[in-house]
Amino acid sequence: MSSSLTTTAPEAEVARRQTTGEPALTYQPHVDVYDTGSGLTIRADIPGASADSIDVAFEDGVLAVHAKAPARDLPGRVLRQEYGIGDYRRSFRLGDGFDGAEITAEYRRGVLSIDVPRLAAVRPRKVAVRVATASGSAC
Amino acid sequence: MNLIPFRTKRTSGIDAGNMATLADFRNEMNRLFEGFFSRPLMMPTWFEQVEPGQWMPAIDMTEDESKIHVRAELPGMGPEDVDVSVSEDRLVIAGEKKTESAKGGNGWAHRESHHGSFTRAIPLPEAVDPSQVTARYDKGVLTVELTKSPTATARKVPVQIGG
Repeated sequence: MSSSLTTTAPEAEVARRQTTGEPALTYQPHVDVYDTGSGLTIRADIPGASADSIDVAFEDGVLAVHAKAPARDLPGRVLRQEYGIGDYRRSFRLGDGFDGAEITAEYRRGVLSIDVPRLAAVRPRKVAVRVATASGSAC
Repeated sequence: MNLIPFRTKRTSGIDAGNMATLADFRNEMNRLFEGFFSRPLMMPTWFEQVEPGQWMPAIDMTEDESKIHVRAELPGMGPEDVDVSVSEDRLVIAGEKKTESAKGGNGWAHRESHHGSFTRAIPLPEAVDPSQVTARYDKGVLTVELTKSPTATARKVPVQIGG
């Protein structure tokens, strides 16, 4: 087989886009969204990335995640290729009521966890009922 | 025969999606042709089964002179959750991604990630030495390096020209 046939198509496509200046291939990571009441926890599968190549931004109610995917690094001739190459990119319109300044993100075992707390004003509040002391009128 | 590639990532945008699908198809055809013509001995069938309710991680596999390299994406798992076993002609990756219990709040609002147990048996293109295998789990990616068995290559019987 000639080497041109074994050239992987996604790689060729990435190279072609780099030369033409078209937007790069991107992938949407799988996400889980969990509502904790006091905020949202978003978990995105970004295997193989490194923490410093992940960008998390929150602007106008939109949470955007962008991560650089690592290049294929297996040596030798390709036998199987089931995942694409390209960056991970995904954004979520969360709307108002979230506190952008308090967002935290953590990357562990290929999963990015983002905690987006709700603004204190819109958080569900449980009001504790105190027992009245007997100092006032007796009942 | 696994003609439709198993993909866990989706491309965003219609154009990118179409390109990736086309690229995938071309890739798969190349792989088939390459596999068909370049192997003098019978290839093991690329036959893999997924039981209902299970999922299969995506893999990349390459080979060089002496080794076979496999990379599997297993985000959110620990090394203790993954089992790697090797027989002469087969690599089996199994494990379980534990479901996190939904405590308090309104529970899961949206779920896309794979959960539960998985098993993937990957037929190897050549026999390997089961005692010389290394597996590494880093940042959600499992990398397995298998050493080709020298005894297996000696098993090939050259066909002599009749005199």
